[in-house]
Amino acid sequence: MVNAPRNSFIAPGVRRYSRSAVYAKKGLNKHPKPAAKAADKQTPAEKTVELKGGQKRTVPTSKASRFYPAEDVPQPKKSRKTAKAGAIRASITPGTVLILLAGRYRGKRVVCVKTLESGLLLVSGPYKINGVPLRRVNQAYVIATSTKVDLSGAQIDEKFNDSYFAKKTVSNKKGSEEEFFEGEQKKKVYPESKATDQKNIDKAILAAVANVPQLRQYLASSFSLKKGQFPHQLKF
Amino acid sequence: MYTKLTSIWTYHPSIRSFIHSYYYIYASEDIEGKETTAILNEYQVVGRKLPSEQEPVPKLFRMRLFAPNDVVAKSRFWYFLKKLRKVKKAAGEIVSVNQIHEKRPEQIKNYGIWLRYDSRSGTHNMYKEYREMSRCAAVVACYQDMAARHRARFASVQIIRVAEISNADVRRPYIKQLLTPKLAFPLPHRVIRSQKGNRALFSAKRPSTYY
Amino acid sequence: MSGSFQRQVEVGRVVLINYGADAGKLAVIVDILDHSRALIDGPTTGVKRQAHAYRRMTLTPLVVKDLPRGAGATAVKKYLEKNETIAAWNKTAWAQKLANRVQRKNLSDFDRFKLMKLKSQRRAIVGPATAALKKQQA
Repeated sequence: MVNAPRNSFIAPGVRRYSRSAVYAKKGLNKHPKPAAKAADKQTPAEKTVELKGGQKRTVPTSKASRFYPAEDVPQPKKSRKTAKAGAIRASITPGTVLILLAGRYRGKRVVCVKTLESGLLLVSGPYKINGVPLRRVNQAYVIATSTKVDLSGAQIDEKFNDSYFAKKTVSNKKGSEEEFFEGEQKKKVYPESKATDQKNIDKAILAAVANVPQLRQYLASSFSLKKGQFPHQLKF
Repeated sequence: MYTKLTSIWTYHPSIRSFIHSYYYIYASEDIEGKETTAILNEYQVVGRKLPSEQEPVPKLFRMRLFAPNDVVAKSRFWYFLKKLRKVKKAAGEIVSVNQIHEKRPEQIKNYGIWLRYDSRSGTHNMYKEYREMSRCAAVVACYQDMAARHRARFASVQIIRVAEISNADVRRPYIKQLLTPKLAFPLPHRVIRSQKGNRALFSAKRPSTYY
Repeated sequence: MSGSFQRQVEVGRVVLINYGADAGKLAVIVDILDHSRALIDGPTTGVKRQAHAYRRMTLTPLVVKDLPRGAGATAVKKYLEKNETIAAWNKTAWAQKLANRVQRKNLSDFDRFKLMKLKSQRRAIVGPATAALKKQQA
């Protein structure tokens, strides 16, 4: 088997090994990716050489390699597809109470504040009720309930978009000399501006929650399946 | 679609012969509303010999048949006609096929069915009665009954005649007993089962069969 | 009524369908077909006039009085309304149990939470009270 890929298809679209398994097999962690090569100096492709008899002739500056592969090496096709944000479920609107299914806050009942351009949902606990901060979640990891918090009066600032949540790039100093000599790093402080943003947004939500009896306690409690409950048979 | 008054020969099984009469003939395009859900449908099939120089206007033959679809109905038409007259499919044509629908499908009726069947030792004629909502349902019940009681399959059963029967004309006691004016009977001994979703898979108690 | 059997198959008997597309709906026996099937109709309950097997229905204690054998849909409707059969059915404990079951099934997540709170409130009252009574008795 010449050029048989290590990672074959079990079924169309299903590879034998996962991406991470292949990564481990290839030992890619031992060989870090080479940095992108600096652009080659502009050298003329051909040069003129004078032959013995005084004749002139153009030859390539660099000789072509004498070796070439006897069989064609398959080149992976470049994909021109770009990921587009999917449509948000009709059951999810600003004000919908959602049940988070995965991550740190799994089981928490939170309020959907708005939907973002990336297709993610902006969600708030509110922080004061159940400790869930202003946060982005994928709609796939969420159960939409039929309960709605009336957010019609709330003004949500335009600044709460995807870039608001983007991570600041931190210079990679791990294991370097600098880090060693810098000593113990200070604990990161939660930025004051974010704390006030949280308060501002939660103010409107808390006011709306207070209007409905028991809604506050409901948001404070977390979801779990009880005996004899099957999620596909439940109405949310 | 065209209609036209034509002289026609209709097979009357009771006297085993065709009777000459006049009928409106509908062209065969109007096989409308093919009912595939029913096991058997009733069809009126009209056919004749191909016209020739000796016989420019051949006799028309009409039959009422029970078949799952119009294809089988035409096949059954040739099957019966071949046995009765010197006409076969190769030298004949189907003039029209119409599905006959039940006039009052929401009413219970008594049906008498005359039939002929081949047992393992010979051929027998029979008269049976059924209580059903339609002629087709009665014929389906009849085929089931013949298979159950006499091990006679479809191929060995020929339905001769199906007729609606008034209560007074019912002969068989198993139908007669259902015609008593204030009929009422209990359903003794049965398990009341709830719907599948509401039912536990296992039960610690045996079910009560009191009803 | 004969012997110990309380419910009989008869014209006018109200039945609860428990199998198929019409499961959970009420209908009336209009005519008896044979020992295993009856002609039923439910013009006010959305059940089409049809032959239906006894094993796919449950006889209820209700009977539409004097319903003529083989009555048409309009006549059945008239008799049902005159006798207020559906209202009488809705009053029975059986019907209420079924209605409760549907209501329980359609509770939203928030409703379930509120129910849980109410139940715990009840427990907080009933539990200590019964414990006190038991103590008294002992």
